[in-house]
Amino acid sequence: MTDPNTWVDAYGTRLFRYALSRVRDESSAEDLIQDTFLTALKSRDRFKGDSSELTWMTGILRNKIFEFYRRQAKDVPLLPSDEESDPQNEFFDGRHWSASSAPRDWGGEPARKAETAEFSAALRRCLDALSENVARAFILREMEGLAPKDAAEALGVPPGHLAVLLYRARLRLRRCLERSHFAPEAA
Amino acid sequence: MSLLPSCREVSRLLSEALDSGRPLGLHVRIHLGVCEVCRRVLAQFALIRHGAARAPEGGPDLSPEAKARLRRSLDGR
Repeated sequence: MTDPNTWVDAYGTRLFRYALSRVRDESSAEDLIQDTFLTALKSRDRFKGDSSELTWMTGILRNKIFEFYRRQAKDVPLLPSDEESDPQNEFFDGRHWSASSAPRDWGGEPARKAETAEFSAALRRCLDALSENVARAFILREMEGLAPKDAAEALGVPPGHLAVLLYRARLRLRRCLERSHFAPEAA
Repeated sequence: MSLLPSCREVSRLLSEALDSGRPLGLHVRIHLGVCEVCRRVLAQFALIRHGAARAPEGGPDLSPEAKARLRRSLDGR
């Protein structure tokens, strides 16, 4: 294992970006990295070298992020009435997509465009526009890959409400990413 | 009244199917067969999932002040 004195320079920014994209607050992201480094320091005897140090520390950080979400869910329990307006009125006109919200064609090679740094930046901006719990539902499920049951538990909501949060996240991110990244010329 | 689900119902069911892993029901598949816009939504939801899981991490660097704070906290242990 490398000298802990080198960790901040070697891993600080990578871990900071990871944390910031998930908690969306620089001060909280910094606190989480500090906790991660201290946990890594205390448990470094357990590092077996099966993965890189960065991967190992990212695993510690992920658990810190889940704990952070759980703590916040406990401190401020989410009620369905706290959430923003029903997206059905925002996106639909009766049974069909409204003219202004109907999904457009994203043109050639959208899969390639979904793996770029520009996509990451657009996704961060679009996530920032979502309410806290809608964004967190998406982050846990789609960026962290948690099973729905585990994501619901981390957010302190019933599974049925997680499905509502994810639906809202997907509708809003789809539209935001279309306008800012995949088909800005059509917006 | 139509027996087929509406675009608003289909979009919700597509989102739920991404999490349940269950196959889409017959009525949803028939709707997708005739509705190009909902077919786009299905592809775009999947593409956003793909990108969110794989896109490179970006964002600001850790500031020199934050680095100094982290070093101090590690030095203190």
